[in-house]
Amino acid sequence: MTNASTAPGVRIGDLTVVYKTQAGELPAVSGVSLELAPGSITGVVGESGSGKSTLALSLLNAVQSPGRISGGSVEIDGLGDVVGLRGESLRKARGRHIGYVFQAAQNSLNPLKTVGKQLLDLGRSHGVDDLRGLVREAKELLGRMGLDGARVLDSHQHELSGGMRQRVGIMLALVLNAHLVVLDEPTTALDMITQATILRIIREVHEERGLTTLVITHDIGVVAEVADRLAVMYGGRIVEQGPTGAVLGAPSHPYTKGLIKAIPRLVGSLDEARALPGRPPTLATVPTTGCVFRERCAERMDVCDSDDPPALAHGDRIVACHAVGTSEPAQLQEEVA
Amino acid sequence: MITGQAITKTFKQRGNVLDSREVRALRGVDFVIPKGGAASFIGESGCGKTTLGRIIAGLESHDTGEITIDGTAMSSLRPRDRQPYFRRIQLIHQDPYSALNPTRTIHQTLNAPLALRAKQTGRSRGWMDERAQEVLSLVGLDAGSVLGRYPHQLSGGMRQRVVIARALTVDPEMLVADEAVSMIDVSLRLGILALLKDLRERLGVSVLFITHDVATARYIGDDGELYVIYRGQVVERGPVDTIISGPVHPYTQSLLSAIPVLHGLEEPGAQPVVPTEALDESHHDEGCLFARRCPFRTGKCESEVPVLGLGEGIPQEHACFHPERRAVVAQPAGR
Repeated sequence: MTNASTAPGVRIGDLTVVYKTQAGELPAVSGVSLELAPGSITGVVGESGSGKSTLALSLLNAVQSPGRISGGSVEIDGLGDVVGLRGESLRKARGRHIGYVFQAAQNSLNPLKTVGKQLLDLGRSHGVDDLRGLVREAKELLGRMGLDGARVLDSHQHELSGGMRQRVGIMLALVLNAHLVVLDEPTTALDMITQATILRIIREVHEERGLTTLVITHDIGVVAEVADRLAVMYGGRIVEQGPTGAVLGAPSHPYTKGLIKAIPRLVGSLDEARALPGRPPTLATVPTTGCVFRERCAERMDVCDSDDPPALAHGDRIVACHAVGTSEPAQLQEEVA
Repeated sequence: MITGQAITKTFKQRGNVLDSREVRALRGVDFVIPKGGAASFIGESGCGKTTLGRIIAGLESHDTGEITIDGTAMSSLRPRDRQPYFRRIQLIHQDPYSALNPTRTIHQTLNAPLALRAKQTGRSRGWMDERAQEVLSLVGLDAGSVLGRYPHQLSGGMRQRVVIARALTVDPEMLVADEAVSMIDVSLRLGILALLKDLRERLGVSVLFITHDVATARYIGDDGELYVIYRGQVVERGPVDTIISGPVHPYTQSLLSAIPVLHGLEEPGAQPVVPTEALDESHHDEGCLFARRCPFRTGKCESEVPVLGLGEGIPQEHACFHPERRAVVAQPAGR
């Protein structure tokens, strides 16, 4: 069962992150609101350039120059608004409160040091007094994930397989007892069988330790396997969010519909699957007015050219589309189910 | 038609004197890819599927066995005489970002092989321009807007189309697509797969698709032949949909069970198979290579080697002593 008392809630409110370019400051994430309920696993799905990794980095207030958080807030229980954190308090929050498993965690280990030495570095930099306890905790976590802890801590990264390195990344994110964990593309570049193992571990560790987990991925299948809630990003916006099964079973936003149709499937007619026309926007080609998806949209209307659709609650969903639920009275305030 | 018989390849890793070890990448693989046909090699990384693809494309040598292209055994030719054959087999890489020279426009990229071609056949510059436009339209790109651009100005999907267009300039008989869509955005993947299928149908180009993602292998055509490769050996082989709907080898079943289920759209298969251990290349070589990880192994599996073949009323070839159909694949959710 989920241990909700330790798991923090996260409320991202109207977050905007801009990158400075020759064409001025362009938004990679614009006006995103997302709530991570304590003890939930939320999956953010998006294609390249959708802003999903930038969103994840914002949770750590770690957006690198030339990018910066230009507006909005990221409230984390027990930490406050991390957008306002600076210097030492920010550094301490990372690791202690927020664990982050980086994209290509397989390559984010130091090739010159054993995993154990890197673990001790991590402990020292966070002022852990009981380093023996830290090592014990690390061994326990690795053992939990089906690895021989002592052997792994004595290994250099080249002695570990991709799936093992990924588990080391998860261990390093959790060993300081963080209860908010962000996993950026946790299974990219892993084989199918290894991916299935890692996803099972993510789910189990999440429940056992009472975490709030955010998974960022381009692969809807990954989210479908682990996440309770699903948020779909496109062009720096969350265009649809809701319970995973409901969104996959009956998507509302035309982009979500198209994305699900575009997944190669094992069963069913080959002709049912269709690629979306056009291509995803980049930072430079995201429309500044109107709906970001209209160029590829099958349900485009006149209003889409001029007005950016607000994210509105529709039953169990929040959807940003003019074509969705136009008959219902529009609710201007966002509600998170 | 391209066939291979009993292809083997061993890589020697030389560390220090005590540490050198051999990796048997291929342990005797047979395959047939008919003209205009399709085949897919699937398996985990390190199973030898990429090595096999590179051998077929003439980029890698093999130790024993024979590759035959249109009836000509490659071993009977001198290396330089093999070139015209292998030129007709074009490799499409996983990464369209590194496969194109960033300092060349698409026009220059396409012109290099076309110039060679024009020289060989005595054609003019006009033919080259015409042909460049033709191959771009074959891959669904607008020549007018693409020719003058550099790779960085194109999306991943467009780059992969340019790579395919470049391969088409030499009138290939076969395209070897090695994880050709794994770096393409999800919404565009099917477009590339549909293109490969379309090239098969319109130009009669055969396609060899190498992937770890079984679902994408379906999309190059349901007449395609699937080869499931494990540690350098084909363990199951047959028409794509026959194997997906009724896999009998526990390894194939593990691969199919590992594919994420789209909850809400699909119900998981009733009998998922999970290997008992992770892949370890240093596993012993006696008996069935998969035995150590197989939940269904018996004493026989540890001592005797199963041979790929038909039997027990199963429509596809398999290399397993205890073949049994299991419902591992997710099915559409009943509405």
